[in-house]
Amino acid sequence: MSRVAGKIAFLFFCGLISAGYWPLSVLALEKCQICHGKTDHHKVEATGRRISLYVDETILKKTVHASRECTDCHVDIVEIPHKGVQKVNCRRCHYSGNPVGAPEGELYDQYEHSVHGREVTAGNPEAPVCQDCHGGHDVFRHDLPQSKFSRENIPSTCGRCHIEIYATYRESAHGTALVAGNPDTPVCTSCHGEHNIKRPELPDSRVSAIHVSETCAECHGPKGVVAKYGIKTDRTTTFEESFHGVAQLMENMMVANCASCHGYHDIRTEADRKSSIHPDNIPQTCGKPQCHPEASARFASGKIHIDPTSEESGILYYISRGFLYLTVSVLAGLFIFIILDLVRRAREARAKR
Amino acid sequence: MADDRKLSEEKRANLISELTEEILDTAASIAEPEEDNENLANMIQDIRERLSFEVNVLLNEAVTKLSPRKALERIAEVPKRTFQRFGINFRAQHTLMFVSVIILIITGMPLKFPQLGISKFIIVDLMGGLENSTLVHRVGAVGLIIVGVWHLGYIAFSRVGRRDFFLMIPRPRDIRDFFRTLLFFFGRRASGPKFGRFSFIEKFDYWAVYWGMVIMIGSGIIMWFKEWFPKYLYDIGREAHSDEGLLATLAIVIWHFYNVHLNPDVFPMSWVWWHGKLNEDEMKHHHPLEYAEIVEAESREIIEEKDRVADTGSGDA
Repeated sequence: MSRVAGKIAFLFFCGLISAGYWPLSVLALEKCQICHGKTDHHKVEATGRRISLYVDETILKKTVHASRECTDCHVDIVEIPHKGVQKVNCRRCHYSGNPVGAPEGELYDQYEHSVHGREVTAGNPEAPVCQDCHGGHDVFRHDLPQSKFSRENIPSTCGRCHIEIYATYRESAHGTALVAGNPDTPVCTSCHGEHNIKRPELPDSRVSAIHVSETCAECHGPKGVVAKYGIKTDRTTTFEESFHGVAQLMENMMVANCASCHGYHDIRTEADRKSSIHPDNIPQTCGKPQCHPEASARFASGKIHIDPTSEESGILYYISRGFLYLTVSVLAGLFIFIILDLVRRAREARAKR
Repeated sequence: MADDRKLSEEKRANLISELTEEILDTAASIAEPEEDNENLANMIQDIRERLSFEVNVLLNEAVTKLSPRKALERIAEVPKRTFQRFGINFRAQHTLMFVSVIILIITGMPLKFPQLGISKFIIVDLMGGLENSTLVHRVGAVGLIIVGVWHLGYIAFSRVGRRDFFLMIPRPRDIRDFFRTLLFFFGRRASGPKFGRFSFIEKFDYWAVYWGMVIMIGSGIIMWFKEWFPKYLYDIGREAHSDEGLLATLAIVIWHFYNVHLNPDVFPMSWVWWHGKLNEDEMKHHHPLEYAEIVEAESREIIEEKDRVADTGSGDA
């Protein structure tokens, strides 16, 4: 008797527990869609801003999180109507060694040290978290065109906050190429990095004065992709050999780097009249007050990015060649003379003995 | 009272006589052992001489062991006549020049080979950055320009400078000397050519420096005042400066260092740059024609002097 009573008591206890968790365990997408499936479902913030709470089920079902339940991310929703809903924390799943197999790795850790991560930590409410760039209910793989962080969509995603820079970029050589559908043109992240975006003033930033030439070299250097488009790939090597490049190697950050002359978000081709490197504008570009204020049009005349070892450089090539032959022949001559002199001395010394 | 005074006077006289005796005794004792003192002084002198002799023997032994050649030279050393080859003016030019050139090479070469670790060490760690090193380079440059202007003044306005400059001008004889030297090196001739004041080697050195100064100062000024010149001139200047800088540095390190430092005759260094003197042997060996000229001129002077004396003597009589 007592055994039966014990079993009943146990079952009743189990029932109580499961009853307590009933809302959670069966809170499926269908249930949420009762409200969030309505296109005009919204809330009004204290500031008066109207925020849509509509979630398009058809889109959600195609995202990388299609198999996830709403509450897998919105873990703080336990009752209807919801109270005190917090922003979703992606790191609940995307951390090293997570059991659900969510992608993780170094990239995810870099964010905390990036300018955005630091701002978030410092309490800036405007600073972006994961879903500001990757999307909330519309996270697609980056190689899909509808992804917020697909190559062609990155500039507009970043542009949601950095709108002026986005406008400048759209007009630049890189931006117009992107609009024209060029698959190699750099977007924001090509230069700035992704999760590791740093302030340009910081020395470990990809766009800091000390590193920007390396970043540009990824495309404009000897192995750069620009060769495909008939753009010269000796731009960064000639820079490294110039006085500016040498000075930079000697840790002098006052000298010009790529961006000093070419600009950064507004890089334009030489033929563009608005370009800082258009022949008409070069005197002003060289003559910046902090660079060569005495620079005249005469000073700025002549090729930049010249390579003395290439025959295209004209007189410079012949001077460089001439000195090479002169140096080799003079030194070979002197060296032979010294050897002969030493041989003679040795012979005389032997004869004396 | 009177007795007292008398007594005291007596006492005083006694005291005086006693003191006098004492002083005389002391004086005598000082004067008397004159012989002994002399012996002592002699002894000290002997010990000193002996000591210095022993030290010299030890030193000579050490020198002989370390450098037999030097020891032989020391033994053979007899006061010889010296010839002032370079005057103070010329030596000062050379000194300012090599100080400037060393500064220029140290601050310049790293910029030609910026990838090398030592370059970064020199510019960044040693000089404290490019701004300092370029400033130091310009200080060296001013030194070199001063030497250039000074030397031009020297060969224009100094009698010795003018004479030496004309002697520096290459002549057909130098080409002959060069080939004779080669024949001598290959054992086809018993001896090398005889040189005058400047051998073809010295002429080569001089004109190499002349050419180097023109290129380096010219291109350096273009780069220094680049804003006044078109960019292509700056590029040409930079290329020439960089290439000639390397050529000059290698020529100095290989050729000049061999001649004045590493050459077995002068190792570790010839001091002519400091005192400007050659001894009679060196003069005979390296500049026999100049030596002959000097000796001939001197003997002519002596003969003339004798004649003059003889003339005046006969005139008096």
